[in-house]
Amino acid sequence: MATTKTIRVNGKALGVTVDDAAMPLLYVLRNDAGLHGPRFGCGLGQCGACTVHVNGQPVRSCTRPLSAIGPDDEIVTLEGLGTRDHPHALQTAFIAEQAVQCGYCINGMIMQAAALLKKNPRPSVPEIKAALENNLCRCGTHLRIIRAIRRASGV
Amino acid sequence: MEMTRSAPDRREFIRQLGGLVVGFTLANAARHSPAAAAEAGDYGPPTDQVDSWIAISEDGHATLYSGCCELGTGSSTGLLQVMAEELDMPFARVRLVLPDTDHTPDQFVSSGSRTISAHSRPIRIAAAEARAVLIDLAAQKLGVPAERLMTGDGAVTLRDSKQRSVTYAELVGGRHFEAKITGRAKPKRPDEYKIVGQSLPRWDVPEKVFASFTYMQDIKVDGMLHARVIRPPAHGASVVAIDESSVAHVPGLVKVVRVQDLVGVVCRREEQAIAAAQALRVQWTSWAGLPDQKNLHATIRNLPEFRQGYPKDAPGGLLVHRGDVESGLSESAKTISATYMTPYHHHGSIGPSCAIADVRDDGVTVWCGTQTPYGTREAVAKFLGLANQKVRLIYAEASGCYGQNGADDVIVDAVVLSRAVGRPVRVQWSRADENGWEAYKAARISECRGGLDSNGKIAAWDARTFGFSGYSRPEYHEPKHGGEPGSLVTAQLAGWTKPGLEEGFSGAAGNFDPVYQDLPNKRVVFTYLGPASHRQGPLRIRVGSMRGVGSPDNIFVAECFMDELAAAAGEDPIAFRLEHSPRPRGLAVLKAAAETAKWQSRASGTAPGSGDIAYGRGVAMLGSDTDTNVAGIYEVAVNRRSGVVRVQRVTIAQDCGLVVNPGAVRNQIEGGVIQSISRALKEEVKFDRSRVTSLDWSSYPIITFSEIPDEIDIVLLDRPDLPPMRVGEPASESVWPGVANAVFDAIGVRIRQLPLTPERVLAALSGKA
Repeated sequence: MATTKTIRVNGKALGVTVDDAAMPLLYVLRNDAGLHGPRFGCGLGQCGACTVHVNGQPVRSCTRPLSAIGPDDEIVTLEGLGTRDHPHALQTAFIAEQAVQCGYCINGMIMQAAALLKKNPRPSVPEIKAALENNLCRCGTHLRIIRAIRRASGV
Repeated sequence: MEMTRSAPDRREFIRQLGGLVVGFTLANAARHSPAAAAEAGDYGPPTDQVDSWIAISEDGHATLYSGCCELGTGSSTGLLQVMAEELDMPFARVRLVLPDTDHTPDQFVSSGSRTISAHSRPIRIAAAEARAVLIDLAAQKLGVPAERLMTGDGAVTLRDSKQRSVTYAELVGGRHFEAKITGRAKPKRPDEYKIVGQSLPRWDVPEKVFASFTYMQDIKVDGMLHARVIRPPAHGASVVAIDESSVAHVPGLVKVVRVQDLVGVVCRREEQAIAAAQALRVQWTSWAGLPDQKNLHATIRNLPEFRQGYPKDAPGGLLVHRGDVESGLSESAKTISATYMTPYHHHGSIGPSCAIADVRDDGVTVWCGTQTPYGTREAVAKFLGLANQKVRLIYAEASGCYGQNGADDVIVDAVVLSRAVGRPVRVQWSRADENGWEAYKAARISECRGGLDSNGKIAAWDARTFGFSGYSRPEYHEPKHGGEPGSLVTAQLAGWTKPGLEEGFSGAAGNFDPVYQDLPNKRVVFTYLGPASHRQGPLRIRVGSMRGVGSPDNIFVAECFMDELAAAAGEDPIAFRLEHSPRPRGLAVLKAAAETAKWQSRASGTAPGSGDIAYGRGVAMLGSDTDTNVAGIYEVAVNRRSGVVRVQRVTIAQDCGLVVNPGAVRNQIEGGVIQSISRALKEEVKFDRSRVTSLDWSSYPIITFSEIPDEIDIVLLDRPDLPPMRVGEPASESVWPGVANAVFDAIGVRIRQLPLTPERVLAALSGKA
């Protein structure tokens, strides 16, 4: 049975009509909101490519059902984190360090790191590694990602 | 991104570009004229096409119509640098159009780390030609001889009066004219370069960081439906029956499609397709034709040779035979032998493969992340029984592929499903589809025998490896014109029986001949076992190219055995290598790496410490006179209690000729090294008797942040006097032997099978005790 629901994405209301409230948030963001930030990687919550913030917390949108999202929950994607005109410090730093190869994982890396920096503005290298331990990168960009996060934290 | 299906005639398209368009005039002469072919190189456009490469528009921008796929490595930034350099155009005013068979030339396959080394040359020549044309136009306009003019910053200027200048935009105006490659324009000398050689930031990085980039997986087409596929639960299983009532409850279901053993569900929305694919009940035949994984390498060792796969210059797989190996061995003061084994690997693309197809009566459009646009177009056309011109293939960058993942195969899924519903269909493979049906890096077993003379020098080298094909993509090679659907496992599932083009040997055998000149008696054999797929072949596990094709396995064997001989001689492994005379560029990288890493000169494995953590260092090198040379030094810590190996520090010295973008080259080296450390320490495709079972990241773990090295030092030996050479693969190929040699140094026991898991390390340590 189709139901209509309104959620908040990047500060705006988004009305969605879905057949199944158990559907993952990822497909609403990609196909209804038309966002490119959150990415499908495994659908299992294992790789982190789909990471978004829900009320400031990093969440795997591929396994978070739409039913678990309330009308007041604030969802922020990479698009909402910063823009070319108003970039987040991490976005500026990832460009400066060229901390991207294919870039498919980078959404998750930046969103996970943004949540870390909010809690811990000056993380050590071991703290950065621990925070990103469950975000996978296949191109081997890890050292640059760490450098970018250090740069964004002003270290 | 909105895509339209318009498929204008290519000549019409070129006319619409406006401005100055530079194309090659190799029509019908191309590969038939040695001079023309030499000018374009192996990766220039084929001769029967006059294609545009570079267009300068009246707004003062230059556009490169690239036949090369950007695979997330940054190589397209390098191509743009080459074009901007030769045009004397600011980098900010160059643009890129990625492959589209309606708009861009055929540059064959974007693989083997060749984008810059092979594909930049024709672009350099075309851009130089464009600059010469612009100078001629300026000479007419200014009424001065061309010799008095110079170019810079997108304008032509009078040498002796800088005030008199005319921009390219003004020269082009609103006119359209086409220039041909005449060969009269001389590209710049390396000492004139201002843009080539600079670490310019990649054009795609900001788009990826701000999420404005459109990957293949992001493309939406008007009227598009979503689909998922349902694969057999065993590699050789076939459909017995499909119970469509099992998905009758799924909202948005458009159709259940079956073509032989290719099964899919098409729905209005993506999550509906996922639900339908999970719910669909399919009855399959049972099949259990795989060997026990414990016996994999023994099985490979006993497979019959695929004799028809040997090229004429390597009968019986004999790559090189010098001197008399048997006499050399029998006369040696000391002989050793060793057997090495490597597993299958997943490519491990973070984003599983995706394609969109729109199959209509009047033509077909495909959006995909292939590495070989024209070959794949040909395969689609053959599969559908159409002329090539009826199929338009539009390339979009997908998740990093590192070789042949499912990017080509998913196209056949999309084509079959779109044909069945008469609408554009997007197929997104699941993680399990990708891991279960891609073309894996092949497993290998290799046997070596070697002898040392009384002076501790190598008297005999006898190496034989047993390997599969390195290719199974619908690659398109003149004059063979591959493009065979039979290369794709999805076409095989759909009942296509004609085999794909077989040319695996030459790709898989590279680099098995050691780099040392001073090996008096040497025999190097690659025993070829042929192509293999889930659906056909001698061992029903599908193989294909992955970062280096067979080369990482070959170098693992050659450079580990070199190390074993050094240890048997009681010599330092670098001194031992030097004694056997690497070629000059190899010598240079080896010395640079040793110096940078502050190499501790001693025989390996002789001084393991006594604590819980054992430290070691290892070296490996590769290269040739005409290719990139690399030496890698790896410093490891081995935990004797847990068996865990950690690579702490890496030093790479690389000579890849002219370096177009040092920053991008370093990025590729770092990435290749980290990926290959993951493969050396952790990775192994798992299978049972029916199918591959490592279908997610918990059953196929890859390296994580806590496991990466602390630092990777990179020394680039810039050689602007040499052409640019391959970058993406070579450094990564030094990793497996370098790490294995370092582990031997640390614990004093040689492990000859990858991955170097804790279990294997503990077994080696207990075997020693």
